[in-house]
Amino acid sequence: MTDLTSVAKADLKPAILSIFSICCSLIAGGIILLVIGKNPVVYFGLLLARGLGSSLGVTESIIKMAPLLIISAGLLPCFSAGLWNIGAEGQFLVGAMLAGWAAPLLAARLPCPLYLAAVALLGIAGGMAWILLPAMLKARYDINEIITTLMMSWVAISLVTWLVKGPINDLSTVPAQTTLIPLKYRMPMIPCTRIHIGLIIGLAGLIGMHWLIRRTTVGYQFRVMAANKNAARHAGMNIARLTVYSLLISGGLAGLAGVSDVLAIKGLFQGNWNPQYAMAAIPLVFLARLNGWAVIPLAFFFSVLGVGGEFVARELGVPVFFVHVLEGLTLLFFAVSEYFEKKWEHQ
Amino acid sequence: MTAQSLVKLTGITKRFRGVVANSNVDFDLYPGEIHSILGENGAGKTTLMKILSGVHQPDAGTIRVHDQPVRIRSPRDSLKLGIGMVYQHFTLVPNLSVIENLTLGFEDGFFLNLKKARIKLRRISEAYGLFIDPDREIRSLSIRDRQRTEILKVLFRDSDVLVLDEPTSMLSAAEAESLFQTLRALRQAGKAVVLITHNLNEALAASDRVTIMRSGEKAAELSNEALAGLDKKAASEKILTYMFGSIPVSGAGVAAEDVSGDQPVVELKRVEARDSRGRLGLKHISFGIGKGEILGIAAIDGEERRLLAETIAGQQRIASGQLIYRQQDITRKTVAERFNLGISYITDDRINEGCVLDMDLAENTILKSYGQPPFSRWGILNRLKINSFAAGLIKNFEIRAAGPDARVRSLSGGNIQKFILARGLSDSPGLIVCNSPTYGLDAKTVAFIRELLINQSRRGTAVLLLTSDIDELFSVSSHIGILFNGEIVGLMRRTQATTEKIAKLMLGICES
Repeated sequence: MTDLTSVAKADLKPAILSIFSICCSLIAGGIILLVIGKNPVVYFGLLLARGLGSSLGVTESIIKMAPLLIISAGLLPCFSAGLWNIGAEGQFLVGAMLAGWAAPLLAARLPCPLYLAAVALLGIAGGMAWILLPAMLKARYDINEIITTLMMSWVAISLVTWLVKGPINDLSTVPAQTTLIPLKYRMPMIPCTRIHIGLIIGLAGLIGMHWLIRRTTVGYQFRVMAANKNAARHAGMNIARLTVYSLLISGGLAGLAGVSDVLAIKGLFQGNWNPQYAMAAIPLVFLARLNGWAVIPLAFFFSVLGVGGEFVARELGVPVFFVHVLEGLTLLFFAVSEYFEKKWEHQ
Repeated sequence: MTAQSLVKLTGITKRFRGVVANSNVDFDLYPGEIHSILGENGAGKTTLMKILSGVHQPDAGTIRVHDQPVRIRSPRDSLKLGIGMVYQHFTLVPNLSVIENLTLGFEDGFFLNLKKARIKLRRISEAYGLFIDPDREIRSLSIRDRQRTEILKVLFRDSDVLVLDEPTSMLSAAEAESLFQTLRALRQAGKAVVLITHNLNEALAASDRVTIMRSGEKAAELSNEALAGLDKKAASEKILTYMFGSIPVSGAGVAAEDVSGDQPVVELKRVEARDSRGRLGLKHISFGIGKGEILGIAAIDGEERRLLAETIAGQQRIASGQLIYRQQDITRKTVAERFNLGISYITDDRINEGCVLDMDLAENTILKSYGQPPFSRWGILNRLKINSFAAGLIKNFEIRAAGPDARVRSLSGGNIQKFILARGLSDSPGLIVCNSPTYGLDAKTVAFIRELLINQSRRGTAVLLLTSDIDELFSVSSHIGILFNGEIVGLMRRTQATTEKIAKLMLGICES
């Protein structure tokens, strides 16, 4: 009995810390709103009403979870290996761009399931290709992957913008974009809903990665490497190879998230389109403390913020970015709470 | 010595995770003297000086500077008290110039006043004969000049006490001599110098007083007058007994069984390897270990021991030569391949390398065997098997831990070492390489571990024991070798060895 309660306590503590930091960020966000002359009660009230209060809002929020879940699934093994892929945004865009370009070309030529798989694989390959260089630099020369992945993101943003204005631009339309994918070639829906199967992919990926990290030899090596590199070297683990693997997984899944968004929702790739899901996924995975199960409710919460924020932006004139401010604040308070947790542990 | 002491340490005790690094050590220092602290690696020399320089806090004991009791909480505190440290690994900023490095952390006000600094540097340089171009970037300097800059950095802060940690380890003989001249000039000027070294000749040549440490304790203190009465040979012999203790040469140890005629289990043929600085750290190493033999290799230098161990276990690349294990050339095999062939390596760095402190015992038991059944199949771990195996190790090796899911961090140093040995011995290896397996442990655990190694060899395992502990060497090994300056300088049966012979070879004292 005491065993059970202690386990529950051990599991509960991180949850409490995450919830605590979310509450703090909402309070701090409220103060910011007051300062810029908006009523925080009205803002948060509307935000929750729009994001959660109607079936439309809830459905939208759930749809928006898909890219967050897929990107987070990729970040799990890489963060667990002590590697920081901060450039999932770039990998996402490359995957999305490739999907927008290839889907109209392949749609009519391949049977549907094969076509979907081909586009998905292409997007995964694109995301992996985009992280390959940082991964190799890290593995070979120990060059900080935080910097290189972030820089590669900026390159990706410019690259896809250029591609979509030139080589892969659909000239029959005025804006710079790829050819619209006909509705029947979009990603299938979960039966009886408007929610596309990206959600299932995200959930499966997340749980799969959660399992990989804890129950497989590869995941074990990732964790040893993160906890003690000297021990990993001493035990003969191939640190260079593990580094490349974990980063490739994360890049590939970010690319897949791009594919899912283009194939299911956008239907095409546009030059100035950058939803910055990665910027939400990174704090998300931290808040979940690298636990795949915990990512799910947090992803839902972040989606509600995102969807609600968009609606409220139109009604109250608070910029959409304010949601990013809230996300950033959450991470900040999380760091603070972790600091105090460590301090208490030492006492 | 009637003068007032500059620094006085009394009853200093410091423990790290169950290892007693310093036990009730007294140390004092007077102006105008060079005081050496002599002892083998791990004797507690550096810990003592790190306490003086504020890097570590003592668990017990007092520090007095200028006869005032003080608490030194950080290196900054110790600098303020006029105590400066020159570490074995330098702490200069490589892409700044000499003068910028000297003024670093010492800026009065916001703007750098390099002009004033230059004048001060010239004054110091002239006073002690330490000339250096103030505008050269550190990375373009030789090792000697970097060390010179480190010393200048300490003097620049008007320190009275200069502590040098193994300062000659990277210098040539001529460079070392010029360093000693500088130290003598400092002594003339009334500064106090502490020289941490494991080199006996150096300690005798340069210092006024020698404190000898052994296993964290102060073994003796010899003043210049005491040493002056003896000739050099007698003095070094006297110091040797303090450094290593007097050990009965015959008796206590187990008799080595002679298993000759067999092919050796492992054989090194003219093996060479490079150390972390890219120099040839092992030169033409050749020896073999037969079934059931325990070859004890004594080396005073920790890095050399480690290099040899890692060369055999596979973490270090072999630059040239051949490594044969059970008639198979394994020179190019990886760590994992060698482990799977039955080579088990017990590292000397049990905390930082031998285990993952923040994982539980069960997960640590598979650190090297995670890829093997029954612990995993098709890449999927079997937690149940791992747990029951870990529970078995805990029981059979009397490891004091709450259970397989206890974090290694919660174990004492001795129990961590027992655990690492248990893991290393569990699947009856053909060769065990162990580096300083009992360093810093209490007597009971030491006896337990030595017994383990002897029992293992009786089952036919070849054991390579690397150590600087002569007591251990004699009580465990059947054969003894000595590694000095990267070379095997002696190889003999234990019955042919004497403590004195081994100690002299370890310290590179040639008999003439």
